[in-house]
Amino acid sequence: MTRRRLRGGWVLGLALCSGLGGPAAAAPAGKRPPPAPAAPKVKVKVPGAEEIAGYATALAGTDVEAAAKAADALGALDLPAAHDALLDGLAMGLPATVAAPALTALAVHPAPPDVAALIRYVGHHNLNVRAAALTALATYADPAAHAAVINGLHDAAGLVRGAAAAAAAKGRIRSAIEPLFQLLGRGEEPAARALAALADPDLVAKIADQLGKVPDAALAQCLGYILKRADFGPDPARVEVVRAIAKIQDPAAIAALTDYIDVTPKNPPRPSRGEAERLVEARLGGGK
Amino acid sequence: MSRVGARVIVCAALVVAVGGCHHPVFGLTTSNDNDATALASALSRRQLPESPMPLGATHQPRAYVAVQGGARAIVAFELAAGKPAWRVDADVQSRIAVGGDFIVELEGKQLVARDQARGAVRWKLAGAGTLIGTAADRDRAYAVWHDGSHYEIAAYDGASGGKLWAADAEGALGAPAAQGGLVYVPFFAQWLSILDGKTGAPLARLRGIDEQISMLHTTSQAAYFGSKQGVFRLDARSASGTRAGGTYAQLKIPPQLDRTSYGVDSYDPVQLAYTAADRARVLLRSEATDAAGPMRLAGDGYAIHYFRYVFGFGAGGELRWAYSHPRVELVSTEHTGYVIVGVAANGDVVALEPQTGAVRFRGSLGTGADHVLGATFDADGWSPSSQSEPIETVAALVGITRDHDARFDRVKELAVQALAKLPGAEVTKELLGVLADPRAPQKLKDTVVELLVARKDPSSLPVLTAQLAVHTDYLLRTEPDALGPVAKAIAGLAGAPLDPKQVADALVALQSHLDAPATATPDLVLVIAAMSAIGGGAERSALGSHLLLYHADDDLGNDPSWGPAIVRALDKHGGPGEHELLRYVAEDPRTQPALAAAIRDGLPAR
Repeated sequence: MTRRRLRGGWVLGLALCSGLGGPAAAAPAGKRPPPAPAAPKVKVKVPGAEEIAGYATALAGTDVEAAAKAADALGALDLPAAHDALLDGLAMGLPATVAAPALTALAVHPAPPDVAALIRYVGHHNLNVRAAALTALATYADPAAHAAVINGLHDAAGLVRGAAAAAAAKGRIRSAIEPLFQLLGRGEEPAARALAALADPDLVAKIADQLGKVPDAALAQCLGYILKRADFGPDPARVEVVRAIAKIQDPAAIAALTDYIDVTPKNPPRPSRGEAERLVEARLGGGK
Repeated sequence: MSRVGARVIVCAALVVAVGGCHHPVFGLTTSNDNDATALASALSRRQLPESPMPLGATHQPRAYVAVQGGARAIVAFELAAGKPAWRVDADVQSRIAVGGDFIVELEGKQLVARDQARGAVRWKLAGAGTLIGTAADRDRAYAVWHDGSHYEIAAYDGASGGKLWAADAEGALGAPAAQGGLVYVPFFAQWLSILDGKTGAPLARLRGIDEQISMLHTTSQAAYFGSKQGVFRLDARSASGTRAGGTYAQLKIPPQLDRTSYGVDSYDPVQLAYTAADRARVLLRSEATDAAGPMRLAGDGYAIHYFRYVFGFGAGGELRWAYSHPRVELVSTEHTGYVIVGVAANGDVVALEPQTGAVRFRGSLGTGADHVLGATFDADGWSPSSQSEPIETVAALVGITRDHDARFDRVKELAVQALAKLPGAEVTKELLGVLADPRAPQKLKDTVVELLVARKDPSSLPVLTAQLAVHTDYLLRTEPDALGPVAKAIAGLAGAPLDPKQVADALVALQSHLDAPATATPDLVLVIAAMSAIGGGAERSALGSHLLLYHADDDLGNDPSWGPAIVRALDKHGGPGEHELLRYVAEDPRTQPALAAAIRDGLPAR
């Protein structure tokens, strides 16, 4: 009996689908859309079928180190056959130490059928595998992927929740904001970071409103991350953030403002930086 | 006439002649035991009513209740009217015995008789030592006294307190009972002497050959004696002295109600007064019969009062009904022939239908903050006319299971066992509620799990499925409630006629736990078994995916319980595809050795 033959039977279906009416049950096991035709400007060596088959064999082998490297190599190849080899390996089951890099590799060149395979792994008993699956899902716009990421925010393991929070930020998953607020309420740093990444001026106002509802340190951390975002602005919006931090009594507030001052050049002068300096001086100088 | 008969007559004549003298009624050799003729003669002298009725002169059913507020008092409660007749302060130190128009009890150190009309003291006297017990009939009061090694029973005129006669004993006497002109007196835990109440003359004596005689109980028409082991109805057949020859019953008392007794222990000095022993009592009535054979229970059943609860059983010991008194314990109960009447510690009075447990009467002593110590009922034949409340056996059983009083943990086991025998989803829900109760004892939860598994009630499936809706969730702070037991219970439904839609829902719910990272391996094994048990093949793809996902996993793949479970499940409804899958996994070099071995063991070459 060969893997290929088995995969050709019903196993592919069950492996890619979750079986009993799960959201992925109807997902087609088709291939990625063909890449847009590239202009043949530079000649690159295109790996042959043999090389890919070699990686696939290594991926399914007992040498987990070689299998993990094969997963990386397959992920680096923007070829449907390489992608299929990864899907195939994941469908047939991989040891945890191989599954995590294979999941990461799969998302390097994302394709719609990947979502079902990734979702199958977000419930894995190994938390590194779950974290890798969630991180990978950030790349996909599929609502099922977003739902899985949000579900990951409820995970019992902090490492997995952290991965889900990062995925929510990376995938700009707005529906994750509410559970992220709940995690912020529990003082979780990855949630602070994710909310900061997602924040626009409206969300900043909502975050600032959390004063007294969430731990001061986590709130200061979150607002501090917003200030450090290069893409956040204009400066009047940053001033609002600085003022929100100023209301926080926890030493983390001073740390956040100090960090902001440190990473922001003096010139051209920014009113938000000046405001932060005045606040830090006032706080540290005892208000003199 | 027999020699004993002649001796009895002579003795009786002497008693009448000397009035009140002591005579050797009790002794190891002073009576001819188990004389059928003497017994029949004695029983024929009883003056018993045609139908059951209270002994009191007005024949109105009453409860005489000892209460303690600031001081002790007696409340006479008219059951038919549902209100107290009177209340008098009285330092009650014993059970209250009810006579024709008086009651008698120990107050302080004195035997005191009070009239039934108003509770006024009629007479009082100091006895010959320590009181063992009292009894009364229409005209007389009887008391057994103990002083050092000397025991004595004395009879007193109910109207004046004058001593009518007394009899010494060579050994321990128990608390007496009186009925229709006879006095029953236990002797040395082995004998029951039957005396003429008017003269004290010994009429007959029973010797328990294969059972002690330490319990006595009378109604207006019947008398019962026996021990902790069983109960005899006093009749002509009692002369055999044996269980087999007498009208005897040894009822099935559930082990969870192990403090239950058939009546007051006549020899226990503590039970001279009302005690907690009164709260664990068999309540029965039997039919008079001349036929040989065991006691025939009226209504073909009996009841057990056990603290806050009353359980009704069929003659075979099967639970028929349950009653749970709200908040407080019932301190005294009595079977009137038509209802079981009880008084609770807070003064509630309740009457239950013996066949169904339906509440037929509720009342209150109106004693306010008083604490009820105990009660004696003179209510034989009482049948309240008020309408029955609905029968609430399930609610009562549920109430018992949820009772957090640790004293009743074993009773809770009985309740869940009884609940589990009832069909319906609601019952399953209640049983699951026990599992979800963090304060429920573990032993009770173990019992519930066993019962859920054994229950095999198809209508429970939706309830069990609903129970699976809760998952481990960090944000919601939830954990699955009894996932393993629920899965086990679902597996127990294998082969039962199940609704396909409900099965599909259950499979989805089970798969959510199959795929959940937080599902612990022991629970996972049960989830797999449950899916296999009810899936009918629909579970195969999910289980196949699960197998592939973990076959090379260092942890799960090597688990000694998971491997055989998943192999069994896939093999059960598996077709060629599943067997092909199992063989592939067995041959895959990455497959963990324990799993590969499980496949080889579970899937012989075909």
